[in-house]
Amino acid sequence: MNGTSPESGLFRLDLASKTYGATPALAPLSLTIERGEAVAVVGPSGAGKTTLLHLLGGVIQPTDGEISLGGHLLADLSPGRELSRLVGVIHQQFDLVPQLSALHNVLAGHLGKWGLARSLVSLISPVDRDTARQALERVGLKDKLHERTFRLSGGEQQRVAIARLLVQDPDVIIADEPVASLDPARSRDLMGLLSGIVEESGKTLIASVHSAELVRAFFSRAVGLRSGGLVFDVPVEELTDDMLESVYELQGLEGEPVGQL
Amino acid sequence: MSPSVNYRFIEGRWLLTLVLLAAVAWSLFFVPWNSDVVHSGGAAAALEILRALFSPELSPSFLLVAVEASWKTISFAAAGITLAVAIGFPLGVVASGTLVSSPMKRWTSIAVVRLTLAVLRSVHELVWAWLLVLALGLSPIAAVLALGIPYGGILGRVFSEILNDVPEGPLRSLRSAGASELKVLAYGRLPMALPQMLSYAIYRFECGLRSAAILSFVGIAGLGYQVQLSLDDLLYSEVWTLLLFLVGLVVLVDVWSGLVRKSLTT
Repeated sequence: MNGTSPESGLFRLDLASKTYGATPALAPLSLTIERGEAVAVVGPSGAGKTTLLHLLGGVIQPTDGEISLGGHLLADLSPGRELSRLVGVIHQQFDLVPQLSALHNVLAGHLGKWGLARSLVSLISPVDRDTARQALERVGLKDKLHERTFRLSGGEQQRVAIARLLVQDPDVIIADEPVASLDPARSRDLMGLLSGIVEESGKTLIASVHSAELVRAFFSRAVGLRSGGLVFDVPVEELTDDMLESVYELQGLEGEPVGQL
Repeated sequence: MSPSVNYRFIEGRWLLTLVLLAAVAWSLFFVPWNSDVVHSGGAAAALEILRALFSPELSPSFLLVAVEASWKTISFAAAGITLAVAIGFPLGVVASGTLVSSPMKRWTSIAVVRLTLAVLRSVHELVWAWLLVLALGLSPIAAVLALGIPYGGILGRVFSEILNDVPEGPLRSLRSAGASELKVLAYGRLPMALPQMLSYAIYRFECGLRSAAILSFVGIAGLGYQVQLSLDDLLYSEVWTLLLFLVGLVVLVDVWSGLVRKSLTT
């Protein structure tokens, strides 16, 4: 689909599917994502976006098919050190531990690399405070280092989550509706921040977003899902409003469209 | 569910209620409703006890006795709860199954620890006191152990449940960052569980006050012991004074608990 040989893809899905009991969440999907791409995953609720992102993030394993990252089967990578070095995940909310300070939440990005002893000691006497300070400065929260996370606003908490990803420094960032809880202005702000970080460090970004404006502004490729199936996969220049509408359309009982939300 | 099945279920429930009420009403006919129901001297004694409530013993010498007894009671409660936390916290963490990730190790360790906790708490503190006094004599150690052991069993069980009930989102995120189960426990579960565990421990401290007061009936110094002395002499005014001090202790712990909770959320 992108005119590249299969072996050169960073992420490769080979007929990967996910079924929960009797419910198919994602139909067999084949996809290749290159290093440095910014892929937007669009679709209505229940389309399988979260399932796809969690499969890519190694949070869940496919029921059938294979997912490989950089030539290695995702299932073969150990979830601790190896996987966290390659993939980082950010969600809509509830990524952070509310009782901890922003400093500790950000330093948690090191947990894949630190041994147990250092991790525990750091809780009492923070190790590598400087990296955390730099990360928080990059996301614009320099003076919130010692603030308890539950005191921060939703937008600030999302930025702390991004700061944690900066510390973790994975090759790929997977974002599951990262701006869905924010107002339009803050959404743009946060997507801009995320996109900037991804670009300047050559990372790959795969994110689900609902706003067509954000898709066009910050992504190079758009993948449309609906009811667990792939509807389209195009470079963002070829994305039309009709394609988006068709993917979000309400369906009646017989499968006929009943208008827009 | 079809409407007729629903109906039958509801009618069945009303029938059961009716049967139970009828049984209660019928049982009342088996009570010998004559003057033997209330102990002959009882009415007079009850009146006297009530009257004494309005004139509690307030002489300085007795107030001193009450203060000293209160101090002993709260000390026993504090020592007992500390022991309970020392027992309940580690056992609770193991019992929650959040320490190890492999299923086999988890189930065996959980089963053994939960059984231990259940045994500890199913024996009431009075029975523990009786057993320990037999073994160790009327020493303060016996009182602290009698309180700490069963309360440790209770705390352990509740702590393990609190640890299991923390929100999953932050934990999942920590795992994505590369944390092993132990690191998830330290960075996620414990920080999120701590406020509730602390709250519950303070509540149990309050329960421990009452238990300590009752335990001192066994002969170990405290409010209960003094109450027993005063009761033996039929000095009801003194009894009320001691009970008021007990209420005061509980109110004190209540206020303290509120302050601690407020400091956690600011």
